[in-house]
Amino acid sequence: MATYDVELTDIVKDFESGGAIVRAVDHVSVQIADGEFFALLGPSGCGKTTTLRLIAGFEQPTGGHILIRGRAMEGIPAYHRPVNTVFQDYALFPHLTVEQNIMFGLQMEGLNKKDARKRAEEALEMVRLPGVGKRKPHQLSGGQQQRVALARALVKQPAVLLLDEPLGALDLKLRKNMQYELKALQRDLGITFIYVTHDQEEAITMADRIAVMNEGVMLQVGRPEEIYERPGTHFVADFIGETNFIPATLLDRDAGGHGRVKLPTGDVITALLSDALEAASGAVTLTLRPERIGVSGQLISDDSEDSDITTLDAILVDSQYIGTDTRYTLRIAEDTDLVARMQNVDGQDKASLEIGQAVKISWRLSSTTVLDR
Amino acid sequence: MLTADQQLINEHAMSRNRFLRRLGIVGLWLNPVFSYFFLWAPILVLVLFSFNQSRSVASFSGFTLKWYSNILNNMMGAESAFSTELLLNAFRNSLFVGTVATAISTVLGTMIALSMARGKYKGKRLLDALLFFPVVIPEITQAISLAIFFKVVFDWFALMSGERIFPGFHTIVAAHVTFNISYVAIVVRARLADMDPQLEEAANDLGANPWQTFWRVTFPLILPGVISGALLAFTLSLDDFVITFFTSGVGTTTLPVFVYGLLKLTVTPEVNAISTIMMVLSTLFIGISLTIQGRAVPRA
Repeated sequence: MATYDVELTDIVKDFESGGAIVRAVDHVSVQIADGEFFALLGPSGCGKTTTLRLIAGFEQPTGGHILIRGRAMEGIPAYHRPVNTVFQDYALFPHLTVEQNIMFGLQMEGLNKKDARKRAEEALEMVRLPGVGKRKPHQLSGGQQQRVALARALVKQPAVLLLDEPLGALDLKLRKNMQYELKALQRDLGITFIYVTHDQEEAITMADRIAVMNEGVMLQVGRPEEIYERPGTHFVADFIGETNFIPATLLDRDAGGHGRVKLPTGDVITALLSDALEAASGAVTLTLRPERIGVSGQLISDDSEDSDITTLDAILVDSQYIGTDTRYTLRIAEDTDLVARMQNVDGQDKASLEIGQAVKISWRLSSTTVLDR
Repeated sequence: MLTADQQLINEHAMSRNRFLRRLGIVGLWLNPVFSYFFLWAPILVLVLFSFNQSRSVASFSGFTLKWYSNILNNMMGAESAFSTELLLNAFRNSLFVGTVATAISTVLGTMIALSMARGKYKGKRLLDALLFFPVVIPEITQAISLAIFFKVVFDWFALMSGERIFPGFHTIVAAHVTFNISYVAIVVRARLADMDPQLEEAANDLGANPWQTFWRVTFPLILPGVISGALLAFTLSLDDFVITFFTSGVGTTTLPVFVYGLLKLTVTPEVNAISTIMMVLSTLFIGISLTIQGRAVPRA
């Protein structure tokens, strides 16, 4: 019994482009568990789609091994792999009806027409699109075509479903609905999903685990909260959500993952070190999420004796009302501005903060992460 | 405030601009009129005189269908060796050559188009350039080269086996295939270029092997291109004179060669009638071919 549904070991993929070798996937190793919703996240050209295509069998790796359900995939063509793909532009067959599109994969398995038709009908019901079987794909809306593509792949009951930015072409509201539905469908069916996206919000809300990729390298793999709260690199911290980067100097570090850093203000504070931090001392970057910073009136804690709390003086440079939140730009030192975001709640006296005013800001030790510069 | 002089200059410039714009509009209107006149006037004359009462082309003296009925009733000119049977025979030959040459060149041309669109091999660029060769070289050059080629091959064959092969339908068909392949390949390739290659990947992904993928996805999607290419090939084959003339043998007279034979004596109204019928047929096939080509690839 295989422990993992999909295992990639030291995968490398090179493409030749105009005489030059371009490395699209650079020594990627990852294990994806049975029934997991796994997101491959990164900017365009980071190698996430190539990784997916390697698993699907559309491309052959230059080096490394792919196992699906414990079986080596070397030399096994796409049409013999227990995976199915939902393509970005759906890739529905335009000359076939919706029903024929869904039946296609079943008929390739040798299923007779009658049973295939019945299964296709069930698949359409599953994606909540009953009764459109006789139509041609181009007669459906983008969202409906998306569901047909999903039904066509799921009707094959694959071990792993590969999704290549499946919601990329839909408008925001439809996308939100489909995110919810896809997640529910995945939970009900228990199929492993490998989901490629460049939308960090989508990855965070849907995935069990996220792999962040950049320039062919898998930078960090972890649960969404790990990726968000404990980023391993500057790129990951920057790519996922909004964050502050404060240049700092690491003075020393202990075995428990804490370190003392000197801020540009001259203050020496204790901060959490990233697991990936290599530097023993010297120039580092401290990262801190805007919503974890409290500003005068809404300080994280008034108890200045609490050793977990860092409190600093700052000047309010700018304040921006953005509906649910207010964004404050705070200057803690020359050339060092921080962004803090605080929820707008009833009864809070916002007028009490004026631009140019001296304020106090604070954060908890657990909100900080020290990264290599 | 403008001075009176400036105002005068401005007005002058404006009226000059107006004049140029009008000239442009008239020019743009005249341009296609002239183009179409040069293209179509000779053909119109031919069609017109195929309905002319008088045997002479000096004047149009009334409408008649008698030349059309003449060609079906063994009557033509005074001293010509015309008979309806010979005409129909030539027409049958044309259809036979056209059908066989079209079938062969459609299969081969489609295969070349597929290999150029999907294949990855050295020399693809060269093949691409060579594909247009039969389209651009003078027909007479191709005709003579084919005639020499057949002679060399048949001489060599006679030397090796003692059997002599004579030109006939096989040489005409082979010659027609050589130029038709290019046209079919060009039309089919255009269709393939419009097709989303991801559809083939999708078929693969759903468990279709390359053979199944081709017959169930690729072929149905390029079929309009294939039909269109075949119709084009058939028309070219039906119309061809020069290459056929140089590669035909005894008893393999096609319709254009037959008409040429009639012309040796004199241009009679019956020839006009035959030519008009041929033109109508060709136009029909090309029209169908273009209509099919013009239909966009359905997109999902």
